[in-house]
Amino acid sequence: MANELKVTIDGMEFSAQPGQTILEVARANGVFIPTLCHLQGTTNVGACRVCVVEVENARSLVASCAMPVSDGMVVKTDTPKVKSAQRMVVELLWASGDHNCLTCEKNGDCTLQDLVYHFEIEKPRFPMTSPGVLQDDTNEMIFRDLNKCILCGRCVRACNEVQVNEILDFAQRGSKAKVGPAFGMNYIDSDCYFCGECADVCPTGAITFKAARFAGRPWETRKVATTCTYCGVGCQISLHTHKGKVVKVSGKELHRQPNFGSLCVKGRFGFEFIHDPSRLTKPLIRREKGGALEEASWDEAYSFSGKKYQEVIKSGSSAVAGLASARCTNEENYLFQKFIRAGAGTNNVDHCARL
Amino acid sequence: MKALRAHILLCGGTGCHASGSIAVKTALEAELVKRKLTEEVKIVETGCQGFCAMGPIAVIYPEGVIYMQIKPADIPELVEEHLVKGRVLQRLLYQDPTSEKTIPTMQEIPFFALQELRVLRNRGLIDPEKIEEYIARDGYAGMAKALTEMTPAQIVEDVLASGLRGRGGAGFPTGLKWKFAAASKGDVKYVICNADEGDPGAFMDRSVLEADPHAVLEGMVIAARAIGSHHGYIYCRAEYPLAIERLSIAIKQAKEMGLLGENILGTGFNFELEIYQGAGAFVCGEETALMTSIEGKRGMPRPRPPFPAVAGLWQKPSILNNVETFANVGQLILRGSQWFASVGTEKSKGTKVFALTGDVNNVGLVEVPMGTKLGTIVYDIGGGIPKGKKFKAAQLGGPSGGCIPVQHLNAAVDYEKVAELGAIMGSGGLIIMNEDTCAVDMARFFMDFCKDESCGKCTPCREGTKRMLEILTNITQGRGKEGDIELLEDMAAVIKEASLCGLGQTAPNPVLSTIRYFRHEYEAHIRDHHCEAAVCSALFKSPCQHTCPIEMDIPAYIALIRAERFADAYKVLLKTNPFPSVCGRVCDHKCQSKCRRGKTDEAVAIKFLKRFITDNAVHPPVKKVEVTRQEKIAVVGAGPAGLTCAKDLALRGYAVTVYEELPEAGGMLRWAIPSYRLPRDIIQKEIDDIRALGVDIVCSARVGKDVPFSKLEKEFAKIYLAPGAHRSQPMGVEGENLQGVYGGVEFLREVNLNEQAWLTGVKSVGKSVAVVGGGNSAIDAARVAKRLGADVTILYRRLKQDMPAAMEEIHAAEEEGIKIELLVAPLKIVGNGGKVAQIVCERMELGDFDNSGRKRPVPIKSSEFSLAVDTVISAIGQVPDMSFVPQDSGISVNRWTCFDLAKGTKSQTTNERYYAGGDAVTGPDTVIAAIGAGHKAASEIDAAIRLANGEPAYEAPVDDNIDIPFVLDEETIESPQTKMVELAVAERGTNFAEVELGYTKELAIAEACRCLRCDVEL
Repeated sequence: MANELKVTIDGMEFSAQPGQTILEVARANGVFIPTLCHLQGTTNVGACRVCVVEVENARSLVASCAMPVSDGMVVKTDTPKVKSAQRMVVELLWASGDHNCLTCEKNGDCTLQDLVYHFEIEKPRFPMTSPGVLQDDTNEMIFRDLNKCILCGRCVRACNEVQVNEILDFAQRGSKAKVGPAFGMNYIDSDCYFCGECADVCPTGAITFKAARFAGRPWETRKVATTCTYCGVGCQISLHTHKGKVVKVSGKELHRQPNFGSLCVKGRFGFEFIHDPSRLTKPLIRREKGGALEEASWDEAYSFSGKKYQEVIKSGSSAVAGLASARCTNEENYLFQKFIRAGAGTNNVDHCARL
Repeated sequence: MKALRAHILLCGGTGCHASGSIAVKTALEAELVKRKLTEEVKIVETGCQGFCAMGPIAVIYPEGVIYMQIKPADIPELVEEHLVKGRVLQRLLYQDPTSEKTIPTMQEIPFFALQELRVLRNRGLIDPEKIEEYIARDGYAGMAKALTEMTPAQIVEDVLASGLRGRGGAGFPTGLKWKFAAASKGDVKYVICNADEGDPGAFMDRSVLEADPHAVLEGMVIAARAIGSHHGYIYCRAEYPLAIERLSIAIKQAKEMGLLGENILGTGFNFELEIYQGAGAFVCGEETALMTSIEGKRGMPRPRPPFPAVAGLWQKPSILNNVETFANVGQLILRGSQWFASVGTEKSKGTKVFALTGDVNNVGLVEVPMGTKLGTIVYDIGGGIPKGKKFKAAQLGGPSGGCIPVQHLNAAVDYEKVAELGAIMGSGGLIIMNEDTCAVDMARFFMDFCKDESCGKCTPCREGTKRMLEILTNITQGRGKEGDIELLEDMAAVIKEASLCGLGQTAPNPVLSTIRYFRHEYEAHIRDHHCEAAVCSALFKSPCQHTCPIEMDIPAYIALIRAERFADAYKVLLKTNPFPSVCGRVCDHKCQSKCRRGKTDEAVAIKFLKRFITDNAVHPPVKKVEVTRQEKIAVVGAGPAGLTCAKDLALRGYAVTVYEELPEAGGMLRWAIPSYRLPRDIIQKEIDDIRALGVDIVCSARVGKDVPFSKLEKEFAKIYLAPGAHRSQPMGVEGENLQGVYGGVEFLREVNLNEQAWLTGVKSVGKSVAVVGGGNSAIDAARVAKRLGADVTILYRRLKQDMPAAMEEIHAAEEEGIKIELLVAPLKIVGNGGKVAQIVCERMELGDFDNSGRKRPVPIKSSEFSLAVDTVISAIGQVPDMSFVPQDSGISVNRWTCFDLAKGTKSQTTNERYYAGGDAVTGPDTVIAAIGAGHKAASEIDAAIRLANGEPAYEAPVDDNIDIPFVLDEETIESPQTKMVELAVAERGTNFAEVELGYTKELAIAEACRCLRCDVEL
């Protein structure tokens, strides 16, 4: 390629494109650099400093997530200086909050925990001090415990740059800095849309899904890739199930079209109906006028409705109208309108989302 | 134009406003009206003159007389004398602190004379609110040249060639920065002035903005032209209201005159300028954070690249320079890069403005060429350290900088040297610290600042500074642990390397530099819970007690004097001090140097109060202590160290024998200190008390001669060696062996042995005596020689304030008529018939600073002169006489002829049976240090014996509980120390009567009431 650059990482030479960061080149070539604050698709803030590496002729260590590569750049990711800096950053973060894995919801799915293990830190050399911030348990969707917040700012960027809801930001400074809605409000009192993006990107147990709390460890849950049923966008989601029940919906595992991990409040939190006892699970038929709805088999239901359709169509195409659901996929809706238009021969077809 | 006969240039900087210049101005205006002088005399309110310590300041022209510390009440007299009668008002002139002479003009005051004003060239001369006055001083001429005669590339070239580097601290070449920004493509570029000066103790930028705002504007327009920018910002902190006001006026006036805004000077070049007020976050001084702040966002830094020259404010190419950098530019362009580079060092050109603050006499703003010695700034310009205290270190670069200690006073201050010494140039805050500053506490203070000011974005800075502060706080509060220093160093390395912006990258500097230069203080805090400067109050009851080498309970005995319970007070003295009567007379009272009362008026006279107790309390009878232990202990030398050790061990049940070479016990107390300072019966009484405990003191018994060393080896379990330092150091000049040349201690010993023979003239020093040296021995020898009827001259090679002797002794010597010749060193002694006839000396001048922070005396060529003398006494130091120690004893003696101590002990020699202390270990030191050494040796000897026997550690018997009263004073009224009652000089004559007579009861109680009782927690 015309503008291809040569970059040496840990003695191996790799090709790179202008504008790529050291981290991107390393990842593309299987070189591991730990990260915490990095969130793909958002500004490279270089805040957590766990991805620092040594670059030849640089004045100090550089954050690989924010440093663009240049031709001939020589990078080292595993020198004692790099390791000691990365290790201390993780150690400081661990000591900075109430990181008690025993009851933490993120146990087993926590980047901080992984890095503590990676660097073999048995115990921080600093006293563990919980900031003593009140937990935000004021809504039914998102549970916040800022005592576990490492101020990586991923939630802030998810809120402002991915969802562009602009609810979260930093307040106060230094070690007193906090993330949250304006004026220290709880989520429920703020203008939050409850998209849940913040909880999905949080690398620790600071922002979690309330329904998933104590409803199964990450290694106990089954992750089922599926398509969101709420609208025709077709968002790709993961259903986390435990003991046959959906406990959480996440987007980040399936970082692909069309939603690239993002979800809306319905797709994210609207799964309660799945296990609602009043949910219809079998076809019901009112066999007599004025009679009660009675359970029926699918075969009976299909033949019953087929029979009714044939009766109605006798009165002409315009006696038939079709109403489709927004919860069907685009393909299902396409087929449905095709059926009404081509099969029944009428344009009397509509869709609930137009109402 | 009106013809005026006088101008009064009154300082109107923030410093002088704070010290009252506004009221002075009002009074002055009223007085001029009253005397109908308004048509003849004009008042000009200028920017900061720099000499803030002496504010409010006014200079009256045409004479150029500078008046200082003017109060409104002085105005009628000032106007009457200076403006009406044409006489200089002496009492408001500057008084040189050393020569005590008054100096009428600025040019002759060292503070001003040694400065090189370039950035501050208009200070005190123009009214900053009048653009005409700036223009009259070549203002905007540099800009005119840049806009009409130069291409942008030429401007950049000129700035590059000048070697101007960023004055904000990092020292990046200004020209290079401009070159990058000029090369960046884009129609919209920004020029930003960083006026977010936030270092504690720094006020350079504020003063420039207040005194000469147009200089900054001029520099910015030139920069704009150089990079092709049409819009600029001055980011000034809102805490600088006067600077903002004057800047606003300056911008308005410049626009009105066509020097700013559209079509500047008719050249078609446009440049708009706005002031953006910062909200006081330190981090906003960092360039990317500052730009983020102007964008209206939370002021947090962002990673570089992209650098501001490529994508800065609103992602447009931008340059950001400090106030002082811009203020340099106008003159640089006008006079050329060669002129600019004509001062400075190889890599640091031009001048630097420093805000000189802290423990220095002349607090203020100074501008000196790069490369000026730190010592010149501190001592010659700064006037040295107040109250005769010692310089400890200078903090350069504020919380991001480091300290430069006393051994580097000769350092040429430029970017490279300062970095090499572990500090940074910073924006120019120069905080001077004296000996009363604790290095650990100082590091803690700056870390506290950085922790508070960290924006919280990156982990190393946010969490790292918090943890470093935690460790430092622990150390200052006595909770430090082994390993803390190393952990601090590890953390500092990571925080410097891994932080996102300059704040974090430099935050560990104060810790690193204090560890580098004052590691022993960290160790003393951690291991011994000792704070040398007596600052870390969690470590002690009171600063005086903490500073005393034997930690005497000073507040307790002072409280007991106030309660008139003298007997109890005496008991308190005896708890720690076997020689309270001696110490009440001759102690060097380190305690008083740290007395908090001294910070308001004068220290409490602790020494005099101690003496009062010993003079007036009933001394309880001393009972013999029963010997309960088998091990016998020998002590060599019956000085304060040996006798203290002997007493302590006797009290613990040991049989102790003390061997003394001289005919009487007492060591230096008896044989060196003259009896007019320490009467013989006073020493004798305290030695008798020790004897009464059962200690056997054998006099006229020199170990190695009268008592064989093998006897000690055979008969005693442990031996304590405390022979003192009784041999004078030779001067190393020709003629030292002539008759009539004495060593200082030898002379004092000789007189003390045969006082009568000397007093009656059987022995004589002749008519004229020269004493060489400046220590206490020199003063003692001189005052003794004076009492023997001689004419005495002390020859000392440095200045009076450099003399190691106690200041009160020096004054007493002068009172008694002893001449002190300063800056003089002996070259040779000339004899006549084998006897001293004259001493040939040469004059010295002061050169570079030595490691003690004093200027090194350097001989002046051909300055020799001679004094006719009969006796020369050389008192330039003493060394121990170690000839009694056998070579094969395994006791090692070092190159200073002192005993080496085994590692990790405070008194054991390299032979585990032998312990040592006092002057024989430390070299000549004080009585109280020797007593301290004796205590430590006794407890180490006892502990070693018990450990070897498998016995439990010694437990001191429970004292009789003496309750210490406390009277809470409603308020503290300033009052000086109570004077000692002294024998009149006339009565001292040729006798050895005690000079200090002691406090009366009333005086003692009055003095005791001055104690602030730092020991009491309310």
